[in-house]
Amino acid sequence: MTTVAHTRARTRAAGTKLPYLFLLLPMLFLGVVVFYPLGREIWISFTDAAISNPNGGDFIGLANYREVLASPQLRQSLGVTVLYTVATVVASLVLGVISALAVDRPFPGRAIARAILLFGWAVPNVAAALIWTWMYNQQSGILNKIVTSLGGTPLGWLTDSNLAIWSVTLTTVWQVTPFVMLTTLAALQGVPPELREAARIDGADPLNVFRTATLPHIRPAIGLSALLATVWTIRRFEIIYLLTGGGPLGTTSTLVIQLRREAFENYDLGAAATFGVVGLVVSLLVTAVYFAFERRTKEGSAS
Amino acid sequence: MSRSITRKSSIAISVAATSALVLAGCASPGGSASSSDDEVTLVIANSQWLDALRGENLWNAVKKFEDSHPGITLEQEAIPSSDIDSKLTTEFGAGEGPDLVIVQEGLFYTLQDAGFLSPVGDAFDGISDLNATNDGGVIDGEAYGLAWQRAVYALIYNTDLIESAGATVPTTVDELIADGQLVADTGATGYTGRTSITDFNGWFMDLQNWVYGFGGGWSDGTELTIDTPENLAAIEAFAQLYDADLIPAGEDMPTQRTRFKEATVGYSIDNSGGTLNIATGGTIPSTSVGAAALPFPEPGAYQQLFVGVSGKSDNADAAQEFLTWLAGSEGQEALREASGPDTLATDVPLADDFVEANPWAETFAELAPNAHSTLIDGYEVETPQIMRVVMEAVERVLAVDADPAEELAAAQQTIDEQFGK
Repeated sequence: MTTVAHTRARTRAAGTKLPYLFLLLPMLFLGVVVFYPLGREIWISFTDAAISNPNGGDFIGLANYREVLASPQLRQSLGVTVLYTVATVVASLVLGVISALAVDRPFPGRAIARAILLFGWAVPNVAAALIWTWMYNQQSGILNKIVTSLGGTPLGWLTDSNLAIWSVTLTTVWQVTPFVMLTTLAALQGVPPELREAARIDGADPLNVFRTATLPHIRPAIGLSALLATVWTIRRFEIIYLLTGGGPLGTTSTLVIQLRREAFENYDLGAAATFGVVGLVVSLLVTAVYFAFERRTKEGSAS
Repeated sequence: MSRSITRKSSIAISVAATSALVLAGCASPGGSASSSDDEVTLVIANSQWLDALRGENLWNAVKKFEDSHPGITLEQEAIPSSDIDSKLTTEFGAGEGPDLVIVQEGLFYTLQDAGFLSPVGDAFDGISDLNATNDGGVIDGEAYGLAWQRAVYALIYNTDLIESAGATVPTTVDELIADGQLVADTGATGYTGRTSITDFNGWFMDLQNWVYGFGGGWSDGTELTIDTPENLAAIEAFAQLYDADLIPAGEDMPTQRTRFKEATVGYSIDNSGGTLNIATGGTIPSTSVGAAALPFPEPGAYQQLFVGVSGKSDNADAAQEFLTWLAGSEGQEALREASGPDTLATDVPLADDFVEANPWAETFAELAPNAHSTLIDGYEVETPQIMRVVMEAVERVLAVDADPAEELAAAQQTIDEQFGK
């Protein structure tokens, strides 16, 4: 009897420890590749470290923050980052959800249509940037061929300071939309068909069927997509750097582009880290807003 | 029982995987060179190793060093030119990096200023024929590098195209615009050149031709001279060409060079390395490429690469031996064959058969002695930061027709505040 009790106690204890053991590996991994570099970045932002001597910077307190927060570069790059992120996320969500609804219903060639719609997500960022660079080419790009064939004059997609940010956004939306579509499509599989059927029997038109029966089920997936797309867009680098390098006139210079300039052009690792910390704070704020919104939505549903 | 085994197995796998991860994290990232007994491996970093055809030729040239130095093996570290600044500064900053670097002089000065390069003067003892291209490698009286190649800029043109368009070889900017227009009227591209800050480094170096060409410069060696009348005249002339709509705006330089290779471009201002690229392996035969002095009153600029030895190298003696060989007749002859028209560390002449096949090459050799460095005199390390401010001013002139005089005056004020001595 005692042996059985001991065995049960041992099993229970081992069962309690097991989740922590499983957590050990990802925590170690995250510690090495995320938390340690993050801690270093925050520390460097309080030093005058240069790229040529990253470990040799002296502690200078808040000097980098005072300088960066007062600089016109921060104001501009923050403004560009917000505009670029909001435009990208809103457009991707709208197009992604519409695409998911379109390919959710069975129709001939649906599998091929889904594969084609996912293409943008599958293409690596660098390849996507090169593809779009050619499409945006002012002389021989397909977009200006279309514009001129319609009687218009060629546009400076990447060289016009009023147009460049929208060209970069369009490329990013092309990449992000398939991800939103995929997550929404997965959520749509979980919507009970009888719910939509009941709404239709009650006389609801397609828009109301979507609003009352479908949307409540896919809202969490859309919310998560919005959060991930926002964080990814805030820190997106390759597409902007390869398309415009932050120009023209700094109109596409986001926080990460400015960070790169501080680190590798001005060799000022402290200032670069400060831009990184500002980006981190913005991302954390967005995440906090998302979870607050989520909690309020759940509380509203429960009551 | 089965559950127990599964749990034990899971724990074992977790521990093993964790250990592997930790070991992987702690493993050596790999030195820039390895040595065992008498065997030494020298790692040489250069972006040119990636150049089509030329990269292979240059590598074969330096590999000849191994023939006379058994026990020393050369290994290349090929880094794209767009990444070489950030990669090498990061590597050296982390206490690693190659034994030898072959880099643009801007990066060369940055690495020297950060204390990453070791003096190499001893390697040249007994070598008396080093020419003026090596002067930039001497910093505060100490030699830190050997000239690898100097690529001077010239006006290049497609002789067949301009002849059929009724154009000539221009000697002024007005003539360049008029002749470029004649070429453009045939459906070809009038002129190619960088105009975008996306290619910041290339663009600011190209622009130095205009500034020097109009008798200007960004410093007098002590004070920064941004808004001088000469610099203003240069920017206004460049804007005049830009506004003539002869340049395929927004296209990167490799694409524009490809257009020239395809024989669809009338004129360009390019350096000797770029011209060799254009004249090799494309539609346009090298004999149809012409070169002339820049269409400005004064000489233009050059780009230069230096070979330096890492101060962190474990194989410093072998690296110095390599430099001694490279500066000697054997190394220079080997490099000459692979360097096309570029000027080298000694006055080793262009091969006759090369000149015959590439009649434009001698013009570059003639222009090289009077050309200027793309770096700002007295502000070599700060050149990119200073030129960032200048190029943003130029960008505003081109993109939104801002007043050049006002833009240069504002740039002068900003630069004085940040970099004034």
